[in-house]
Amino acid sequence: MEDTNKKDAVAGRRDFLKGSAVSVAAVGVTAVAGKSASAGEVEVVAGSGYRETEHVKAFYASARF
Amino acid sequence: MTNVDVVQIEIAEEDSLRADMYDFIASLLRTEPSDELIAQVALLEGDKTPIGSACLTLSHLAKTLDNGLIRNEYVSLFIGVGRGEILPFASYYLTGFLNDKPLANLRSDMSAIGIRRAEGVKEPEDHIASLFDMMSGLIRGRFGRRFSVAEQATFFRKHIEPWADLLMRDIEAAKTVVFFAPVGTIGRAFLEIESQAFSMDGTG
Repeated sequence: MEDTNKKDAVAGRRDFLKGSAVSVAAVGVTAVAGKSASAGEVEVVAGSGYRETEHVKAFYASARF
Repeated sequence: MTNVDVVQIEIAEEDSLRADMYDFIASLLRTEPSDELIAQVALLEGDKTPIGSACLTLSHLAKTLDNGLIRNEYVSLFIGVGRGEILPFASYYLTGFLNDKPLANLRSDMSAIGIRRAEGVKEPEDHIASLFDMMSGLIRGRFGRRFSVAEQATFFRKHIEPWADLLMRDIEAAKTVVFFAPVGTIGRAFLEIESQAFSMDGTG
């Protein structure tokens, strides 16, 4: 029962986003975003490809998962 | 600069569009818009949604305003002489001071995610454009893996939701604003969609 509710919630979110986001594609935001994607202000700390380190565990803990 | 393997992650179309929106708004708020960016914005089309109609206004302004004036507007809004009319930093909005606790909290979460301010970026990490870059990166899996919607929601609720709506309203209502007014409108409308969508996910 809980699983069903969770699935419904996820589907509801997806439908809601599809309804709102499709127009985003239509107006051409994606093209502008594509031009700027490489100009980000943050970078991944060198060599820190995802590993479940103590830091990551701590982040999960602080995020209450 | 980074040696991290780029993880190819399939993401749903709506998530890809969310990341596009974050990138789009970040590109306009990061620094004075380049000629290339303004030319791209001029190609935007519109529709009847709040975001669509603000995009149409923005496109019209990009076509008609002088690029130098647009850049001057950016400077007077966000940089200014001494300080701009608007300080788009989480710490300032939440505490009245730059570089205060919210920035420390963000740095701690960034370190946990495994990211840091890119070299050459001078502003503190809690600038709105940085935070939007981070949301885009979390969604796209740019930081080594894809972060779940629940994790995205946690980051959004902690670092963006408490203040970004007010920032966007301040941009819309600023004294010297012309070109950036619809950017604020688009930002506000998009943040509302994000808030609503996260609340539908059953994560709280």
